[in-house]
Amino acid sequence: MTAAAPEPKENMGQPVPRYDAVVKVTGRATYASDMPLDNPAYAFLVTSAIAKGRIDRFDLDEARSVRGVIEIVTHENAPELKESKLFSDGGYAGTTIQPLKSAEISHDGEIIAVVIAESYEAAREAANRVKVSYTATAPSATFDSPGTTAAAAKGQNAQFKEDAKVGDFAKAFDEAEVKITAAYGTPTQHHNPMELFTTSCAWMGDNLVIYEGSQYVYGLKNGVAEQLGIDPDKVRVVNPYVGGGFGSRGSMTPRTAIIAAIARRLNRPIKLVPTRDQGFTIATYRAETRHEIKLGAARDGKLVALRHEGAEVSSRADAYCVGGTKTTTRLYACPNVDSLVSIVRADRNTPGFMRSPPEVPYLFALESAMDELAVQLNMDPVELRRINDTTNEPIGGKPYTSRSLMACFDEAAKAFGWAQRSPQPKSMSDGDWLIGYGCAATCYPTQMAPSAARVRLQRDGRTRVEIAGHEIGTGAYTVIAQTAADRLGVPLEKVAVFMGDSDLPPAPVAGGSNSTASTCSAVMMVCDQIRQRLFKAVMPDSLTEKAKETVGISPAPTTQAAKSDRPLDIEKAFDALGVGVVEEYGEWKPDGAPLDSFRAMHSGHPRLVGGHQMKDQIAYAFGAEFVEVRINRFTHEIRCPRLVGAFAAGRIVNPRTARSQLMGGLIWGMSSALLEATEIDERYARYVNDNLADYLLPVNADVPGVEVIMLSEQDDRINPAGVKGLGELANVGTNAAICNAIHHATGQRIRNLPVRLENIEA
Amino acid sequence: MSDSSSSKQSAFDRRAFMAGAAGSALVPITARAAAAEARPPVAQDPALPVDVTLHVNGKEKRLRIDARTTVLDALRDHLKLTGSKKGCDHGQCGACTVLIGERRVVSCLTLALAAEGQEITTIEGLATDEHLHPMQQAFIDNDAFQCGYCTPGQIMSAIACVKEGHAGSEADIREYMSGNICRCAAYPNIVAAVKQAAPEIMKG
Repeated sequence: MTAAAPEPKENMGQPVPRYDAVVKVTGRATYASDMPLDNPAYAFLVTSAIAKGRIDRFDLDEARSVRGVIEIVTHENAPELKESKLFSDGGYAGTTIQPLKSAEISHDGEIIAVVIAESYEAAREAANRVKVSYTATAPSATFDSPGTTAAAAKGQNAQFKEDAKVGDFAKAFDEAEVKITAAYGTPTQHHNPMELFTTSCAWMGDNLVIYEGSQYVYGLKNGVAEQLGIDPDKVRVVNPYVGGGFGSRGSMTPRTAIIAAIARRLNRPIKLVPTRDQGFTIATYRAETRHEIKLGAARDGKLVALRHEGAEVSSRADAYCVGGTKTTTRLYACPNVDSLVSIVRADRNTPGFMRSPPEVPYLFALESAMDELAVQLNMDPVELRRINDTTNEPIGGKPYTSRSLMACFDEAAKAFGWAQRSPQPKSMSDGDWLIGYGCAATCYPTQMAPSAARVRLQRDGRTRVEIAGHEIGTGAYTVIAQTAADRLGVPLEKVAVFMGDSDLPPAPVAGGSNSTASTCSAVMMVCDQIRQRLFKAVMPDSLTEKAKETVGISPAPTTQAAKSDRPLDIEKAFDALGVGVVEEYGEWKPDGAPLDSFRAMHSGHPRLVGGHQMKDQIAYAFGAEFVEVRINRFTHEIRCPRLVGAFAAGRIVNPRTARSQLMGGLIWGMSSALLEATEIDERYARYVNDNLADYLLPVNADVPGVEVIMLSEQDDRINPAGVKGLGELANVGTNAAICNAIHHATGQRIRNLPVRLENIEA
Repeated sequence: MSDSSSSKQSAFDRRAFMAGAAGSALVPITARAAAAEARPPVAQDPALPVDVTLHVNGKEKRLRIDARTTVLDALRDHLKLTGSKKGCDHGQCGACTVLIGERRVVSCLTLALAAEGQEITTIEGLATDEHLHPMQQAFIDNDAFQCGYCTPGQIMSAIACVKEGHAGSEADIREYMSGNICRCAAYPNIVAAVKQAAPEIMKG
């Protein structure tokens, strides 16, 4: 086994290579903008140069004179589109700011015109020749900008239901023996998936095909149909491969319906390839956040009081928020807890999900503060977590379905060599390099959503699985193929999986790390329907319940234990049935899913359940991360030579793809601490570094050593697949671990991200 | 293959293009003077199609395209070779990397006209019907990708990295593979893949 394919432990599947490996290394994987179109016209966007104000006039003469220009669409001649509500208000959109509707400008980089031409080059040239006169007013850019408004999240964001509280925080904090009060901040960040935000639209009569990288084909299909005012069954979204998502493709952006409507008007396929910098403003981003944490503890380290106040920036139009206090108030045992989340409105595009949306900023604050508390208590930070570990979350007292937090700390500490750390800051060095060790906890809610699947089995064992899931790099094809092969007892190479197409049975959004849990649970259920048909054909009716359970035809063989240990002679069963193909369709929903789940699933509303919102329990995956930083004592250059993470996330379907996700997550976490920030020119509310050279992303040379440890964990209380999502687990807490390590190296506590060499004091 | 023969096939004159398109203040004054001496600037509409012959993966491809078409867009939009990817169109991400001759180049910053007469190798040109290229196999073995969008560029870059002699150590591989961004951050696995494939590639 190579490092990439770790030996499976208990309750792990085989580390088989990716289902889509060969097409991806040969260039044959077709992403949205690779799809062939018949005689397409090319679209190029013109975006606003001001953040607030109005368009007075377009001068399009020069642009129209460019050879090959077909049409220039502005608010003056744009096709009529219906509004779509924000996803959190029951709609599909990631923003309610609908471009090309009026002369008003809501944010910098808003789409204000679409140029259509015979070639990409001509469309680009004409777009550059569009002249716009504006009346600009002073925009409010971010926190502290004049003109912003702030208000509690509760009451303005339908998905933010409570500011978690328990006990009497004020009194307990007042009386606490040891106290910490600290303020933290995290910056704007952009997903920057490698695939641009392209859209191709082609009409065949009344039917529309959309090729677009999406993390939710059912949401996009229904959302575009709503905006166009047509039957959703006439819209098909196709994207068998998606070039990274990280949340940016989870909800509908305004570009899609605009391009679809223009294609209909021109009666011609249209291909839009926006530029990288346009991607910063035509999609969403991780908003900047601020936090104040108050921790009160007894001398022995036991928390007695915890308060987390968070503030997040959103647009004028939409009350987007991530509200990570739902997690930070429940992570440790503490009898007196208080929290408050507020939203600050600015003249910006609406932010949205970005990999671990609540946990990345909110755990940065909490896990930094825990380290500060450990320092004040003169206690090992790992021991502080152990003392405050809990089996039940403190707000409602509900038990965690499983919680391997301290086991992760112990495994990772051992692998890292934490015992070699000398606790005093500035006490470790190597030549010119100050060395710091730091650690932090990570956690991510276990979420599930209703999903359907269709499975077809042939007599020779060939199997076809159809599900409108999404391959955004997570290994979705692979784990679905493995699940079907295991469940039906057929060889893996005989399983074909079809995804990324809204004409297939609905799967939920590839977000909230729910995909493997949801889609594999659905595929298991449908495979069981096939098993039951086959077994009934060859087994006498008089079998006892016990015998039925043994052979897998019990009415509810719902746990991961039921698989190939119940051999089935497929050929014999087919002969007994007298058919050539057995095909089953089924719809699965998790316990506690609302009554309208299946209807919602078909209409593009995912109805995620899990995390702290379960009725009698709370489900999270956990991990612990350890980092070594090295800071040059003269230049203050910061390097991060080692990242070690240990994680427990229920059943690991494929240790290879899981490890890769966790490894990428650790690097994301490092990046969120040391590299990534979208800089804003506050005078103009404009993103300055909107390209891949100036928006710092990690490159290979930034990442010397990453070690991923996966712990064996079994949890039968979450979903039939026994899976906790892990795609968003590893990039949480890393930012705090790095700042904690910087404190250990230098004695300097840094509370605002990212940390750059100019932030290190002499 | 030579410059003169390829420009004979083309209706487009590269020197005239240089003078016409860049004949403003952006070009150093000496260069501009030299171009002007050679031939007076001819204003030519760049949108007028030009004939270009590209040699891609061992095949000759004749195209009639906008003179501003990059190698990347020529491959993707005109030759239906969509393996090379557009990630930034600015030469910042490396997803469009192809080999021109032995050199790895970002095809989004290379005009198709400038590649005329040279051998272009793309990701589609590596595998034979039966066999993957050793670097492709190494990427699979080491799970050196997730979403796969940067992968064609990574693999082309990795092959050149080895042939340049920059795969001698892990530190070297990391340094010389840093022109290719992988947002999924498969970096450690990419290093392992390059390390695995290097001896086989050097053997030839």
